[in-house]
Amino acid sequence: MDRTLLGIFTALVAALLLVGLTFSRSVDPPADFRFNNQSEAKTLDPHLINGAPEVRLGEALFEGLARRDPKTMHPAPGVAESWDISPDGKRYTFHLRSNARWSDGHPVTAQDFVYSWKRLLDPKIASEYAYIIFPIRYAEALSTYDGHADSLHGPITKALTAFIAAHESGVDAKEWQKFLAKNQVNDPLRRESDATLEELLTRRDGPVAKGELEWMLGAFARVAAHLRAGANEARAHFGVDAGVVAVDDRTLIVELRAPTPYFMEVLAYVPTLPVPRWVVEARKEKGDWFLPEHIVTNGPFVLKRWYVNDHIRLERNEQYWGKNEVRLHAIDALSSDNDTTVLNMYLTHAIDWDPEQYPHELGAELRKRSDMILTPGMIVYFYRLNTTRPPFNDRRVRKALNLAIDRKPIVEKILGLGQTIATTLVPPGMPGYQSPVSDVTFDPPRARALLAEAGYPDGKGLAEMGILYNTNQGHKAIAEFVADQLRRNLGVKANAYNQEWQSYIDTVRSLDYDIARFGWIGDYADPNTFLDMFVTNGGNNQTGFSSSTYDRLLRTAADVSTLIDGSAPLPEGLKGESEIAALVEAARHAGPGQTLPALAKLRLRLLTEAESILVNDELPFIPVYFYVTANFVSPQVRGFYGRLHFDDGTTGPNLQDIHPLRDLWVDRTASLAP
Amino acid sequence: MSRRGRTGAAAIAVAVGTTGLVAGLGALSGGTLALGLALVASTVWLGPRGARIAGTLLGALVVFGVGRAAAGPIAGIVLALVLGVLAYRSLPTLVMRRIAFLVPSLVLLIYTTTLLMYSAPGSPFARERASTPQVEAALRAHYGVPKSATAFFGIYMRRLVVDGTLGPSIKVQGRTVEQLLAPALPVSMTLGLLALIIATVVGLALGLRAGLKPNSASDYASMGLVLLGVSLPNFVVGAALMIVFALKLGVLPVAGWGGYRHLLMPAVTLALPYAAYIARLARGGTIEVMQQDFVRTARAKGVSERDVVLRHALRGAVLPVVSFLGPAAAGILTGSFVVETLFDVPGVGQWFVKGAINRDYSIVLGTAILYASLVTAFNLAVDLAYAWLDPRVRGQT
Repeated sequence: MDRTLLGIFTALVAALLLVGLTFSRSVDPPADFRFNNQSEAKTLDPHLINGAPEVRLGEALFEGLARRDPKTMHPAPGVAESWDISPDGKRYTFHLRSNARWSDGHPVTAQDFVYSWKRLLDPKIASEYAYIIFPIRYAEALSTYDGHADSLHGPITKALTAFIAAHESGVDAKEWQKFLAKNQVNDPLRRESDATLEELLTRRDGPVAKGELEWMLGAFARVAAHLRAGANEARAHFGVDAGVVAVDDRTLIVELRAPTPYFMEVLAYVPTLPVPRWVVEARKEKGDWFLPEHIVTNGPFVLKRWYVNDHIRLERNEQYWGKNEVRLHAIDALSSDNDTTVLNMYLTHAIDWDPEQYPHELGAELRKRSDMILTPGMIVYFYRLNTTRPPFNDRRVRKALNLAIDRKPIVEKILGLGQTIATTLVPPGMPGYQSPVSDVTFDPPRARALLAEAGYPDGKGLAEMGILYNTNQGHKAIAEFVADQLRRNLGVKANAYNQEWQSYIDTVRSLDYDIARFGWIGDYADPNTFLDMFVTNGGNNQTGFSSSTYDRLLRTAADVSTLIDGSAPLPEGLKGESEIAALVEAARHAGPGQTLPALAKLRLRLLTEAESILVNDELPFIPVYFYVTANFVSPQVRGFYGRLHFDDGTTGPNLQDIHPLRDLWVDRTASLAP
Repeated sequence: MSRRGRTGAAAIAVAVGTTGLVAGLGALSGGTLALGLALVASTVWLGPRGARIAGTLLGALVVFGVGRAAAGPIAGIVLALVLGVLAYRSLPTLVMRRIAFLVPSLVLLIYTTTLLMYSAPGSPFARERASTPQVEAALRAHYGVPKSATAFFGIYMRRLVVDGTLGPSIKVQGRTVEQLLAPALPVSMTLGLLALIIATVVGLALGLRAGLKPNSASDYASMGLVLLGVSLPNFVVGAALMIVFALKLGVLPVAGWGGYRHLLMPAVTLALPYAAYIARLARGGTIEVMQQDFVRTARAKGVSERDVVLRHALRGAVLPVVSFLGPAAAGILTGSFVVETLFDVPGVGQWFVKGAINRDYSIVLGTAILYASLVTAFNLAVDLAYAWLDPRVRGQT
């Protein structure tokens, strides 16, 4: 035979052999339930989870003191079979189940929670969600004080010394504010109450004398010492005799700084779930305790297999106390991030559940299907305005921009899935909360008048504005529409431009933009998770916006008892002053058992007042719309609630779009036709 | 100019060009880079003996590293010694020269990639939600990603040489880069090989057929098909196949991985542009060889048309294809981002793009090293195959 033919032939045979070899890896029998989990899970360590795909799996693998009731999203007994709350709302006593066990047979104990929460707060773990348990006494001190003290002692003191040397004769307040923002000075000083310090930190006009700067240097050292002492105190007490205390194996006491109405909800959320200490410690070096070969879980499922970029296989945890309530024996979580492919898999019944993934240009067409479940989400889409830059440092300009955009075409034409126009920051539906009446409407004549008042009639004298978005077709369409609206209605030149995610995050954080889009997902059903974004120099503020009234309102709301006992008076000149005063009186004189609800009401009213500052006075952002979440769910799937059914017979949207795998099941005899 | 001279000149040109490109990165980095490039280029001028010695030493070093990471230090030493001696005694100088070239090239590749990664905006630790400087510092220390590119290069090389690992992935926690690439590579290779087989068989058949009767109806028909194959992008072909075979006929699964049924659509999608290109090369080769004197002679002495085609035309058609297959194989075997994403195939292709988008430095470097090694290996294979197929090239090493 000829060399050429022989060569080709040999290559072919060798290739086919190799093809056969790759399929020799074990293939699982088909799972009872298959879904696409949006993207590959980055981790399954509850303390490091930060995305929806990981949350879905994390809450299936681990179980906290509480879990979420799938029908109501209210906290239901998890590892704790019951709990008592003290009358002042600050002390929770949890009674753990005797039959709660880890998948390796160890009992789940109160000490497991103490260990886990200490780990969550450990700065070395670098959890993004440590703050979620800051309502617990000493938690914030344990997690952040040392770091803050280090910053004050090190880089901040160094920077200020250099700053003083460079400005021998004092400095203008504007320059001073720039220095504060650039070196993130406010964050470490946030917990210190000192009138002189506060005044210096918020001074925006006039000079700052050299003497004052030098006083500041001393203040830094003093605060750093306080912080250090605070951290030491926290270390001595947290988990020992305060904050979180394991009284015995089955009793856990949690002490809060202030009554926190949403605290039980936090205890069902991923970051507070327990981790198996013996496994975590054994794999510390490699940091891979959550891989299938090591992981031990205490939730309804165990992690059987994890093929990266392919699928994750969960199987029912036979040690789980409530295993009789778990109907699925095996689950496959796929990780495709291609919208078309995922929808096609759903349409061919290769998967039973497709959260959020479909070609968005087909939204209007797909909406006609009854198996596409649309739910208002706890997510707001908005544009940040860089208030450190002219002309955005002028609130009239910010308001003009807000009034010049017609949001209706955005939700109706561009999006078209029933999204609602946003004129506030907090999405509707937060239990007990009422957003203020917003001044944000579509009113081009008023917008033009405001712009003229600010000194830019018909947009004259304004440089071109950049509208930054992270690379994405959907964001692009909206940004271009907004740019067009600003041009038409205000005569302002605006240019929509994009950056990919990692660069965009950096750009926005370093305030190197004019207008930048953002989406914010609430972590729990409470307005605080949105409003906290805009506190002065808060890490998620990223607009340079600062209002001392706003900050004080939020601080007071975090512990309304300071208002009741009169230790922290309200800021002056609030619009709802009389209404708030009435609520304070009501709380002071509430009958037994009525104090907590009265305090909760007062707290929410303070937050409404704070939001009013954002949407009526200051406008450091342009709210655009509130999201709608979309799920394609096979008609054979049971236990999936797009709408919640509360115990009192009412219904409401599943705002957080959470569907615990524990309570899903599939009826394969049911019809597949939607 | 001799072949070696040309390669050297090309390497220097690349060196100068790249240095200019990264001159913005500073005198120190630029200088280091130029020096490294000169060093790599100089391996071209090594004499046969020098090339053998350098190749043996560097090759043994790599074998030691890989062997130790896989089976421990003693096994590494033994393996390196045995393979080193064997290589020195029996491998052709061509191979040794390539090894001597490859190893310093990889180091240079790592250095250049590091510089480029660090000059790209955004860092792997930029997060949507706020964090403190302490958190970032802790993460940087944990993953061995300091703020300076040179320091990172130092840490990376030490990890590579001393610990024998490609480092932890930053975005996929708890796994090293080799743990991510090792299961993905056979997947991509399976898919790639099947695609290569389809591409070669279909391409050769079409090209041969067209080339034997140039400008005939069948030539135009084949070349029309080829044009279609070249111009239709992967995602269109893939989507079309998906609609027909998965959605309408329901005979193949839409996407996923697990059995041969999952393999067909992505392999065909991947193969099509390659098949088209191969067909064009084969057609050209066939036309050329059919005009040669030896073909006329063969026909004159009464060799059957079938034998003429199989013995002569085929060889003429295959030669240009073989030189194309080398680099093509490296590309196709390391997977295609588009095809893998479209068909949800857990291959290597996705990592090339995801690594870059996530600024996952370890993944970026890991994929770069993998790809560079494969390209070199396949080019070497092509050269060896050439020598075997074409008597004119034999002996010219």
